[in-house]
Amino acid sequence: MRILVVDDQKLNRDLLKIMLEQQHYDVVTACNGIEALEVLDSGPVDIVLLDVIMPEMDGYETAPKIKQRSKDVYLPIIFITSLDDKESFERCLALGGDDFIHKPFDKIILTAKIKAHSRTRKLSLEAQKQNRLLEYHNNQTEREHDIVEHIFNNALENQHDFPDNIDFHLSPASMFNGDVFLVAQSPIGSLYCMLGDFTGHGLAAAVGALPTSKVFYTMVNKGMAVSDIANEINTLLVKLLPGNMFCAATIIELSSSGKSVSAWLGGLPDAYVINQHGNVLKTLESQHMALGILETHEFERELIHFEVDSTMRVVLATDGIIETTNDKEEYFGEHRFIDLLAEKPSISCDDIIHHVTHFAQGEKQQDDLSIVLFNCLQIPQQKGEQESYSPLPFNMSLSLNSTQIKTTDPVLEIVDVLTRISGLRAHRSDIFLLLSEAYNNAVDHGLLGLDSDIKNQEDGFLEFYQQREAALNSLQGAMIIVDMRYCPTSLCLYFTICDSGNGHKSSASDGMSLSREHGRGISLLEEIAEHVTYNASGNQIEMCYKLT
Amino acid sequence: MSLSKALSSDGKILTIQIKGKFDFNLVQLFRQAYADIGNSTDKVEIDLRETDYMDSSALGMLLNMKKTLGSSVDSIRISNCQPQLKKILQISRFDKKFDID
Repeated sequence: MRILVVDDQKLNRDLLKIMLEQQHYDVVTACNGIEALEVLDSGPVDIVLLDVIMPEMDGYETAPKIKQRSKDVYLPIIFITSLDDKESFERCLALGGDDFIHKPFDKIILTAKIKAHSRTRKLSLEAQKQNRLLEYHNNQTEREHDIVEHIFNNALENQHDFPDNIDFHLSPASMFNGDVFLVAQSPIGSLYCMLGDFTGHGLAAAVGALPTSKVFYTMVNKGMAVSDIANEINTLLVKLLPGNMFCAATIIELSSSGKSVSAWLGGLPDAYVINQHGNVLKTLESQHMALGILETHEFERELIHFEVDSTMRVVLATDGIIETTNDKEEYFGEHRFIDLLAEKPSISCDDIIHHVTHFAQGEKQQDDLSIVLFNCLQIPQQKGEQESYSPLPFNMSLSLNSTQIKTTDPVLEIVDVLTRISGLRAHRSDIFLLLSEAYNNAVDHGLLGLDSDIKNQEDGFLEFYQQREAALNSLQGAMIIVDMRYCPTSLCLYFTICDSGNGHKSSASDGMSLSREHGRGISLLEEIAEHVTYNASGNQIEMCYKLT
Repeated sequence: MSLSKALSSDGKILTIQIKGKFDFNLVQLFRQAYADIGNSTDKVEIDLRETDYMDSSALGMLLNMKKTLGSSVDSIRISNCQPQLKKILQISRFDKKFDID
């Protein structure tokens, strides 16, 4: 503790200095207010003993200036005075004085007063330190929240990409939302959405949304089934979340035609399918435990499937809506919710939230409120960009001997290599079909001489492939040559498949017949390819496939 | 290449999903997938979302299934086809015999 003694009389200064130094205080002195302020400016002081009447700058003038210099921390000013009129006491207090000590000095009183004020000073210093720390942490938290908010906004970005199909409203009970709503479209055009409610609310509940969204988007991009997505997110959450946290969720997929819906329902309140008047056509009850509880091997993947049309809507909500309470502590409840849906045609999420908020009558929102209205409309498929075609003229050729024909199934591997050529990947299914039909014809009929009529008999299909396997096992001295050429100028692929067999008749002339299980291959091939020609002996086929 | 099957929660819809390549290599597995179909199942869905390739042997297998199941199911739906596979099904007039979504 450092004490500043301000007095114009040397005797008083020395006396106080000695008395205080005996108590092990550090003492500095000044002769008037101006000097006192200089001392204060040059280093920290904890208590000021201030004489009232001094030349240059007296105590009355000095006290407010001292207080001004120490706004944040309590700096006690004890007036040294011989005055004892009430008026001057009041003046001292009004100008910032905290206490008085009378001349002549009483050692015991002085010590007691200094002790008391130094305690207060210490507390104030401590409080200031804690305030600074608190402020620092506040700023830190605010900055971190900003960053996290930014990440959340980016992670959950495409909720607004399908305004015709999806109307939704999310209102978190605190800054971060423990409810998560995700939307995405698969490459084949079906539209997926997931509404999830993590245990609790706020940041702790919201953190699970990030990894969940990542898995969701990745899997939708691959066009995976809803049951696979649910399973994958469950596996992730079981691993990540603490034991007392989980995520009640509904995941639905609307097929690209807009006609059918598959849904996985785990732990959210009932979802509804409603018609254009808002009447409930179907109630979708939760089927499973929430995500993040069951281990992968016990996870229940069962979905529900149902047909829909363009007038129907699926309504999803978290428990925040039905559990909203009013001032009479009544729940909003399922009945009010169902009635509300039918209150007017094509009700919007804003309408619903408006009603629920009105019902709550200013009661504080207890939980995150989320509602999704999913219109079962066919959705235009987002066109993937066609990769540019390679300008290089590629040639590829394979000669397969008996061993290779017996032990491999080369078509897919050839397709994989061929579709590395820029631009061909988009055609991989067609290329596979052409090669598969031509190659299998060469093997089945050219080399093995199998008769497709077997396929028409009861269980003939299986029989045919059993015969094929047996015949293939004893194959010797055979060969199949596959030639492929990519022409960048005509944008065509040319295939020649030649086998060492005795030639076989194509059954293409039979045309398309749904009643027979074979002969379809050649016709299909002729539809997909631009030209198909056979040589005279029937052991070679040439095909041209146009890429544009 | 793989095949998986799943029954809907109410047991009414059997979904058979084929990954990668749908061709004669699956002939046994595919047959087994619907061989033990229960009485309560009235719909079969062939989910081709993860099927990249199919050829005429797959078409044969589908027709075979249709013949085997006959009237024991109400419908067989082929769903989530990629555009090129949808074209193959259309060229083969499968839309006449199957419900193609």
